[in-house]
Amino acid sequence: MITVFFREIVAAILAIWADKGARSTMLGATVFFSVFFPQPYLSEVVRDMPVAIIDQDGSTLSRELIRRIDAADTVAVARYAPDMPSARALFLKREVYGIVVVPPKFERDLLAGRAAPIAAFSDGGYFLLNSVMSSALSNAARSLGTEVEVGRLTASGVDMASAMAIVEPLRVTTVALFNPTGGYASFVLPAVFVLILQQTLLMGIGNLKAGRRPTGAVSTLADAIVYVGLYSLWAGVVLVLLPWVYRLPRIGDVAVMYAVVVPFLAAVTAMGLAIARLIPTKEGVIFFLVVLGMPLFFLSGVSWPAEAMPKLLHAIAFVIPSTTAVPALVRVNQMGADLKSVETTIFIQLGLCFAYSMLALIVDQAKRRPAA
Amino acid sequence: MARRAHLKAGFRRALLAELRQIGARPGLMFMLAPFPLLLFALLAAVFQMGLPRELPIAIVDQDRSTLSRQMVRIVDATPEVAVAYEASSLGGGRQLLLSGQVYAVVLIPSRTERDVLAGRRPEVVLFYNNQYMTPGSLVARSVGGALGTVVAGISIEARVARGADVESATLAVAPVPVRQSALFNPSLEYVQFLLAAVMPTVLQIFIAASAALSFSRDRQGVAGLGRSLRLGGTLIKTVAGKLAPYTLAYLLVLWGADALLFGPLGARFGGNLAFHVAYGFVFVLASQMLGVVAALVARDTVSALASVGVIAGPAFGFTGITFPRLSMNGFSTVWADLLPVTHYLQLRTDNILRGAAFDISLPAFVSLLALAGIYGGAMFFLLWRHGRSRSVPVPEALR
Repeated sequence: MITVFFREIVAAILAIWADKGARSTMLGATVFFSVFFPQPYLSEVVRDMPVAIIDQDGSTLSRELIRRIDAADTVAVARYAPDMPSARALFLKREVYGIVVVPPKFERDLLAGRAAPIAAFSDGGYFLLNSVMSSALSNAARSLGTEVEVGRLTASGVDMASAMAIVEPLRVTTVALFNPTGGYASFVLPAVFVLILQQTLLMGIGNLKAGRRPTGAVSTLADAIVYVGLYSLWAGVVLVLLPWVYRLPRIGDVAVMYAVVVPFLAAVTAMGLAIARLIPTKEGVIFFLVVLGMPLFFLSGVSWPAEAMPKLLHAIAFVIPSTTAVPALVRVNQMGADLKSVETTIFIQLGLCFAYSMLALIVDQAKRRPAA
Repeated sequence: MARRAHLKAGFRRALLAELRQIGARPGLMFMLAPFPLLLFALLAAVFQMGLPRELPIAIVDQDRSTLSRQMVRIVDATPEVAVAYEASSLGGGRQLLLSGQVYAVVLIPSRTERDVLAGRRPEVVLFYNNQYMTPGSLVARSVGGALGTVVAGISIEARVARGADVESATLAVAPVPVRQSALFNPSLEYVQFLLAAVMPTVLQIFIAASAALSFSRDRQGVAGLGRSLRLGGTLIKTVAGKLAPYTLAYLLVLWGADALLFGPLGARFGGNLAFHVAYGFVFVLASQMLGVVAALVARDTVSALASVGVIAGPAFGFTGITFPRLSMNGFSTVWADLLPVTHYLQLRTDNILRGAAFDISLPAFVSLLALAGIYGGAMFFLLWRHGRSRSVPVPEALR
């Protein structure tokens, strides 16, 4: 019995090696995508986004404000424009991505204790550029404003400590957890990597099993063990080694990670076998999986909060292993969540594994009956 | 049947042959329009809220004073966040963050109110989950803004207590207010932003994959590409006849998605409609030719589809919609330029959102045309080579 099982395991491994499609998806594609996908995000953050300045004041304080804006890592004062139409033209040509207008009498109003508002125009079509501009600007404006106000108070005879207590009676400190630099690669890649595992595993199974006659129980089990085993190795590469190579934050416990990874891979394998039974051609399976990648990423709730999706949609999306496994693995690997915080996900994955196995069996039976 | 056999080789014959192929495969018909529209509906449902509301956060209130309760109330009142949990300690708040139940924890330390009154400038700390950047930063901004309002209130009171009038005290709180407005997408709606970009990117995969499927199927068939080439007569007529049904179907899907976007979903169309139609058409053609080239280079149908997946699957990251192109490395910049969807999305943004003049869109439009030219040229060259190598034996075998 054991030798039979062992032979089936060897057969399953050889089958992957022998099938060109399976070999390239299960052995090659994972690595390829892991290198290819991260490319756009590797610089992590936006640096020196060019902005145009319209300085209608030309005073010492307006220049000081502009200097502070320029001092931020994220933006750089690239152009000075005489008026709004010319700044707008630069913006439309994508030579600058934001416009700052310092009004006339900026210095006079500020020193006289009147509000000296500055106007800023950023690009609503690009969220990241928009928020980069917003934070650089409000930091510059706030620091200059506080300094001027404290200066005015101390000039009127208030001591420094009291002046600070009046200007800023309560400090609000904002601490970014888990991705302290706000890196875009650190945000997207951990989730994408999990999805790559799922999609390439499904494609590999599609290549091997779609349109083929189902094999016996022992050999199917041996296949499943080989797939889960192989992808457990890939999970180590993609979820532990690659983050290290790319210097993404990763603080999780590898044992906890595998406690999620193994049930997840089992669920994906069962799903792959079920899909291969349902879609009769390899081409169909590959097409289906290729177009589904991106929607699945958005459903996982990492880039777009699950709370903002319709409840029903999120409930339906539960049937896809990645929907719950992606956030759980991100929480374990990037946020250091413990076993207790992800146990629900583990049960969901085991449930899915069981459900898809049953589905594969039922389709099997249904297909066999008319033939018999 | 007899009539069909007499039809002269040309566009119509290639077209009819392709339509028969599509008709014989329900799966292929499903991929032409119903499946992409279904995905569009799914994505529209994902982003339907436009902006997230009531994102859950936790508060650790160790002060339990009038001031701390006021802070909690004001934070809870912001539309973007909801105070969903009151944790007794920071450890409890951390557990809520780790299990994904909240996006941020606000810590109000004990004696906050007393320290404020004594002028000791206590510190309230907002911890937010920056691993989930979109909701995390949204929550951080809203909560920070709400707490800022509380601080401003105290500051105004302090100034009034020192004899200032309310108006000048209010002005002094924010001496340099920033009036920021987003040009061209004032409400910062995600429907405009993400959905309008994701849909063409997904469609690019469909367009390229279906073209790859069509040519690969012929190439792998018994008669090879020679039969299709004979049906069409010339290369151009063959290609036009084979691709026309897909071009039309995906243009209709593209326009259908736009109709939903600018109709029921309420996005604003601020550009030139004719131009929008023109670059949409070139986008579809360029993507199709890319798919055909993949089919003619790859060794079989599965690898043709896989290479389309490799090229078009990760395209979204390269288009610069989420992470800006100006911060990308050299490889990504070049790769992005080779993808039709990059130029299409830029043209879309410039035309629809920004209402830019035609001369500003010209470079992107020329790039898109150039891509269509390059992929088209490669396609015709490969087909011509196939035709030449097969044209000698095939007619003899049939006669």
